[in-house]
Amino acid sequence: MTIVEEQAAPIAIPVRDEAQIARRERVRLLFRSPAFVLGLVILGFWVVCAIFGTLIAPQNPQADDILGKLTAPSADHLFGTDRLGRDVLSRVIVGAREILIMAPVATLLGTVLGTAIGLVTGYYRGLVDEVVMRIVDALLSVPVIIVALLAITAVGPSRRTLILVIGIVFGMIIAKTVRAAVLSERELDYVQAARLRNERAPYIMFAEILPNVMGPVVVEFTVRLGYAIFTIATLAFLGFGADPSIPDWGTDISESYQFISAGVWWAVLFPALAIATLIVAINLIADAIAQTFER
Amino acid sequence: MDEKQRRVDEVRRERSEVENHLIDEYVLGRITRRELVRRGTVLGMSIPLLSFVAAACGGDDDDGAATATGDGETTAAGDVQPGGTIRVALIQPTTEPNPLLVQDEGGAGMLGSTGEYLSFSDENLALQPRIAESWEPNEDGSVWTFAIRQGVTFHNGATLTANDVVETFEKLINPDGGSANAQSALGGVLTPGNIEAPDDATVVFNLDAPNGSFPTLVSSANYNAIIIPADLDPADWGQTFEGTGPFKLQNFTPQVGATFVRNDAYWGEKANPDTIEVKFYAEEGPMVVAFQGDEVDFVEHFSVAGGKALLDNPDVQVIGIQTATHRQLHMRTDKEPFTDKRVRQAIGLSIDRNALVDGLWEGRADIGNDSPFAPVYPSTDTSVAQREQDLEQARQLLADAGAEGFTVQLDTWDGFEIPDLAQLVKNYAAEIGVTINLKITDSATYYGDGVFGNSTWLDSVMGITDYGHRPVPNVYLTAALGGDPKVGVWNSAHFKNDAYDELVRQFVAALDVESQKGIAKQIQELLLDETPIIFPYFYNFLSAAKPNLLNAVSAATGQFDLSKAGFTA
Amino acid sequence: MGRFLLKRLGLAVITLWLLSVLVFFGTQVLPGNVARRILGPFADQAAVDNLNEELGTDQPLLTQYWDWITDLLTGDLGNSLALGVPVSELIGDALVNSLKLAALAFVLVVPLAIFGGVLAALRRDRLTDRVITIGGLTLSVVPEFVTGIILILVFGLWLDILPVSAQAPPGSGFFTQLKYLLLPALVLVILLFGYIARITRAGTIESLDADYTRTAVLKGLPRRTVIRRHVLRNSLLPTIAVVATQTGYLIGGLVVIETLFNYPGMGRLIVTASRQKDMPLLEAGVLIVGIVFLVAMLLADLAYSLLNPRIRYARAE
Repeated sequence: MTIVEEQAAPIAIPVRDEAQIARRERVRLLFRSPAFVLGLVILGFWVVCAIFGTLIAPQNPQADDILGKLTAPSADHLFGTDRLGRDVLSRVIVGAREILIMAPVATLLGTVLGTAIGLVTGYYRGLVDEVVMRIVDALLSVPVIIVALLAITAVGPSRRTLILVIGIVFGMIIAKTVRAAVLSERELDYVQAARLRNERAPYIMFAEILPNVMGPVVVEFTVRLGYAIFTIATLAFLGFGADPSIPDWGTDISESYQFISAGVWWAVLFPALAIATLIVAINLIADAIAQTFER
Repeated sequence: MDEKQRRVDEVRRERSEVENHLIDEYVLGRITRRELVRRGTVLGMSIPLLSFVAAACGGDDDDGAATATGDGETTAAGDVQPGGTIRVALIQPTTEPNPLLVQDEGGAGMLGSTGEYLSFSDENLALQPRIAESWEPNEDGSVWTFAIRQGVTFHNGATLTANDVVETFEKLINPDGGSANAQSALGGVLTPGNIEAPDDATVVFNLDAPNGSFPTLVSSANYNAIIIPADLDPADWGQTFEGTGPFKLQNFTPQVGATFVRNDAYWGEKANPDTIEVKFYAEEGPMVVAFQGDEVDFVEHFSVAGGKALLDNPDVQVIGIQTATHRQLHMRTDKEPFTDKRVRQAIGLSIDRNALVDGLWEGRADIGNDSPFAPVYPSTDTSVAQREQDLEQARQLLADAGAEGFTVQLDTWDGFEIPDLAQLVKNYAAEIGVTINLKITDSATYYGDGVFGNSTWLDSVMGITDYGHRPVPNVYLTAALGGDPKVGVWNSAHFKNDAYDELVRQFVAALDVESQKGIAKQIQELLLDETPIIFPYFYNFLSAAKPNLLNAVSAATGQFDLSKAGFTA
Repeated sequence: MGRFLLKRLGLAVITLWLLSVLVFFGTQVLPGNVARRILGPFADQAAVDNLNEELGTDQPLLTQYWDWITDLLTGDLGNSLALGVPVSELIGDALVNSLKLAALAFVLVVPLAIFGGVLAALRRDRLTDRVITIGGLTLSVVPEFVTGIILILVFGLWLDILPVSAQAPPGSGFFTQLKYLLLPALVLVILLFGYIARITRAGTIESLDADYTRTAVLKGLPRRTVIRRHVLRNSLLPTIAVVATQTGYLIGGLVVIETLFNYPGMGRLIVTASRQKDMPLLEAGVLIVGIVFLVAMLLADLAYSLLNPRIRYARAE
């Protein structure tokens, strides 16, 4: 094309491409943020641990040495040994796997659930909306931990229960946000246009509105991911984890905590720092993403 | 020597056949002095008498009360200041203070603070008279007569009579609302309606069958059996903690603690301390911290794992009582892969018991030999070969049984050191090619309704169960391994062996130690061969006291006796 | 105003009722039956059945719910099944304990966070701002038991200047109790600081940029007076809202902190009750937590709307 033609033709950029450009712009902005990069690096480190943990770990995280239990960090065991003589460093490395499987799955479940509920209640409004929202509010008036605790006590501790419970509770929270977004979207022209075209409600909700609320949805996902890790670790610490031989940061802390008064700090400190760094990383990422959407 | 001999002969002439038999065994060196005292008190002989006999007749002078680690069995004895307040840390009771409902250490501690038993089972498993002054069996041990101490009053002023004793036990073993715990000890031994009080000072128990260990079953070891007024509804006991003991209740706050003050109307030697303050702790950690922070002077019970700080501190007085407290690792004999006893033996052979005792218990435990016969019992035959870890043989047995490399689920709950034991067992099994998947829940889920079909404990293929201390192995032998469903209510291994049942019946009836030991040997060997349950260890009951607190006494069932305790100057 | 309040109240009541339904039927799912839990696994089945009948736990669920809810409305919370004492006593004590801890935490965090937020806004985008914002954020997302453990290690173990359990010996004076509550309160402060500071910062920035502020400055008022008289008042609005929403979390979410420091508050009470299937206690406990939360939200809304006209008024100045 010649320059003249380029300038002359009124280019009506389709909506999809506009969104694509915006997305690329956002990504570029993200990588300029030092907080985001730092978060990504830390997260990346833990993901590598989760995937290749058993190869990287210096020792078998389940191998016990009961006579060598609770020894301080040394050349043989850089992070010391725990109550059964297992190598804490290895358990910290391999422990990333548990949480990095459960948390994203739970969050994904919650996001899907919450988005669906938010779309439906936001679009239909009326009685359905009122009733569902009241129930959601009722559930949310009790702290997440307690709801999760009750559910786990009822159904028994297992990976599946944990994921389901957190997924459902977070779904409620996300539903509120998505609903709010949908409420403002549904008044816009393109929704009216679709209605006039006699499109069916599901189509309008999922094909028209959903792409335009993806922003808040993505933000919610990343924020909730941090909370999921937080909640799962807390529940494990309270003793609601499943199998204590499988390395898991929260469970390991809860098992080693009682030895603090005897001066054994390593079995607790290192998994705690692992949790802290992972959550901070996720939140740095989440925050950066949220900010790009704000701009 | 002649004079002594004459006196001994006189004593022996007055003794029953059973008691003479006991003295014979001592003279022949078949039992130690300690066992003489233990067994003798159960039979109703007084300690002064036994001491005299022991001194006069020589024999094995095994007086040693210290465990391998040098822990004392009581605090150091010595002169203490009169009065004072002793602060005790106790695990929080899980039920209200009702003698019928109490089912844990915390509750037992409460009952024992103000209540008294017919006798007190001490750290040597000997019975010290309390409400009962003396007791004796009839010829075959099917009728036991107790002489009730006179001049004993309850804290409310009422005088204690034999009727109170009768009513207490009737309430305990009442099938319609008694104490499940007491019933587990007395079931099949004593039936309601068979207790008589011919006069105010005598109680006669007519047993269902001869039982050589009956007095232990109504001692403090059966911790629900404090003697309460006949007209008191056990549900109301928590209001006044009515009892006859050296301390009485001042106040009680659920989930927080209780305060007791000296009972100046006590029938015996008045207590030394003025006040006992008991604080409840939901968990062990805070208890240990409180002790270190000088908030309490005495920790009733702590575990090796949770009390590492206490064990490492040379200033802390650690009191260790050898007990029969243990864990049972059961394997269902009626379910694959454990139907073949070789597989069960293999698992038993994979475990390194010495490592468990040293690692989990810092040496403060006895190695178990896969039967309920704990080393602490005089009836245990210690000549039976001890099973040791032998991976080679274990693997061979699995190969012979055609059961190599199987996977099985182990159910248990998350209390005490049980999760640790489970993980260690899992690793040992891995060494012989067996994969164990752990499912660890909480005690309510594991125990369920406590009946077959509705309890993970009783239904699981493999599980670990905790058993508290008993002064005799009877209930372990019957309830946990008995073939008759009415008897073997705790039989998680679904073990059914007629030869075994017959041996147990004989053991329970046996009155003298020698025959008990003889039968025990057969039972031990049978169980080693069948291995329905693995008994890895029997661990010590540990208490901790401040260095300046003397004469504090603990019982392995959770009660504590501080009547003679006090602080040094 | 009145109508708004009434509407919110009405909604709150409905939500509360729904909560009671969810709690009641939710706890029915807990494993094991009630009498069995009390009498233990070794009790006779006949005894268990008897107790169930006595307690009324063998009735149809709807009947049980109706009885419970009507009793509740007359103030009868029932008796704890495990301990035999009135639930209201247990909850009363636990609530007071939780409130003590919450009060201390609030007293510490609110001024601190407001100060931090305002400071960050005044030094916007400079180092102070970065430190406060990012530091606050980082600290607030870390689970309480992690910060709690680190604080215990540092202050309780290595420096040994603060007690490691939160419950002061009975009969302690005010300041002794304070000392024991300090560490757990600190954990809460660390948890809440970041969020509250951030909201305050945002509100402060908004009012700093507002017209009325510029007007005040142009009028010649010293900066400090401007901040005090105009900016602060308006920037505190969102802060108040946030502080109120954190209350519900504080009361019940203290589960972890109460476990860590062995503190007999509401959170730990609820956990114990759920473990023991002590239904009256559990249901009452969760309901109370819900009530506290909803009341806090209501107050937050109220405060916000009351203070709102002022903004409009200030803007018109």
